[in-house]
Amino acid sequence: MNTLRCPFCGVRDLGEFEFRTILPPAGSDAIKQVYDRTESGDRSVEHWQHVGGCRAWLEVERNPSSGEVLDALTLGGQP
Amino acid sequence: MAHPKPHYSAWSLLRARLAPSGYWQPLWGTRALREAYDVVVVGAGGHGLATAYHLARDHGITRTAVLEKNLLGLGNVGRNTTVVRSNYLLPANHHFYEDSLRRWRRLSRDLNYNVMYSPRGVLDLALSDGEMATLARRGNAMRLSGIDAELLDRAALARFAPEIDPYRERRFPIVGALLQPRGGTVRHDAVAWGYARAASALGVDIVEHCEVTGVRAQGIAAVGVETSRGFVRAERIVFATAGSTGLVGRMLGVPLPIETHQLQALVTEPVKPLLNTVVVSVFPGHGETYICQSDRGGLVMGGHLDGFPSLTRIGRWDRMEDVVAGAVDLLPGIGSLKVLRQWAGTNDMTMDGSPIIDRIRYENVFLNAGWCYGGFKAIPASGAACASLVATGTTPDLIEGFRLSRFQSGRVLDERGAGPFPALQ
Repeated sequence: MNTLRCPFCGVRDLGEFEFRTILPPAGSDAIKQVYDRTESGDRSVEHWQHVGGCRAWLEVERNPSSGEVLDALTLGGQP
Repeated sequence: MAHPKPHYSAWSLLRARLAPSGYWQPLWGTRALREAYDVVVVGAGGHGLATAYHLARDHGITRTAVLEKNLLGLGNVGRNTTVVRSNYLLPANHHFYEDSLRRWRRLSRDLNYNVMYSPRGVLDLALSDGEMATLARRGNAMRLSGIDAELLDRAALARFAPEIDPYRERRFPIVGALLQPRGGTVRHDAVAWGYARAASALGVDIVEHCEVTGVRAQGIAAVGVETSRGFVRAERIVFATAGSTGLVGRMLGVPLPIETHQLQALVTEPVKPLLNTVVVSVFPGHGETYICQSDRGGLVMGGHLDGFPSLTRIGRWDRMEDVVAGAVDLLPGIGSLKVLRQWAGTNDMTMDGSPIIDRIRYENVFLNAGWCYGGFKAIPASGAACASLVATGTTPDLIEGFRLSRFQSGRVLDERGAGPFPALQ
């Protein structure tokens, strides 16, 4: 995983992007949202930011075991 | 039956030299998996083996199995950069790591196995006056707890480590450093092998290629583990699975304050001695480099985490570039050396950067995890404290701060002051 495809800018070097957070579980209380993580091993939905480019926040779905990027969307869910 | 374990000494070396072939025996016995144990330890890495060793030596619990899905010592105990130190700011951390450092000092004798503890000093460089003030604060906190720490100005640093040449003109000039003289390095593979040999000699079963796939429970207590070789009954279960802890949480149905991130390291081709200490330097804007020279002569170095959750054990290239750039800035002469190997390990990063040793889900299941990128130096203290918790059922004072409940109560141990972001710890 050395590149990422930004929905606005196209395929760019991974160094332009910053991982922000794993999407917290929905609807749970604040402490759980901040601290609790459940690892599945094959699917992780995360927020990244294209800090070295358009600075947009992205919703990225990855497979942490293989490093494969499954999907990179805008925060609104647009491809 | 266990292999005969000769006591290692100068005399045994001589005997081995004179004996016909076949004097040397495997370090630990290969034994069949039994049906039931007092304690099952999951993971034959540093922490698992040390826990089993201390259970047997300090508490007389020898009906113990260490189950390993792969091979002994192939995980983080063999992937770190071998540095040991106790230069932490927070008392809960520095008391614990100081206990560990004292154990490192006598570990070769305790295990009768040379782990090559080398107290060559650990230097944290300051590249600005602000950093110098931060290091002074950390050093003062350590000294108040009786831990060795010396703040070096540029002249003192030039005397201690002339190879760094702090007077040389740099983009970020070196202002000074915090030195922990008793910090240094330990040969990591020897730690895994030494603990395995000592535990095996005390009667502990070490079973490789035996993957734990689940925990069977009745009510509030676990009764054993499901493994790739069938069900094994256990009175108590300890998980010491480092980078796989996130998956263990899922197996137990317990969300954990842990994300799995990667840290990479690399080593150059061996050269003659040129660096006599461990140097840690954080460069404004482009990451961090820590570097030391192994006894073979290779320069071992590492830096920041890769920055995002991953289980791949394949590091990102730009991070490696940061690490090497920092190393060349410190020691310009090494610029033409070749990198021999580069590798990555998976780190169980907690939300506050501090470890967890506590019960989890069931009253007889224990978790020894969350060591982030600092697990190696913690091994001796972690093994002793975890064994004490497992054997007696009460949490030793030394690890009272490492309980899982701290995330609920807000008493987190945020050493870096980075907030609940594992990638920043």
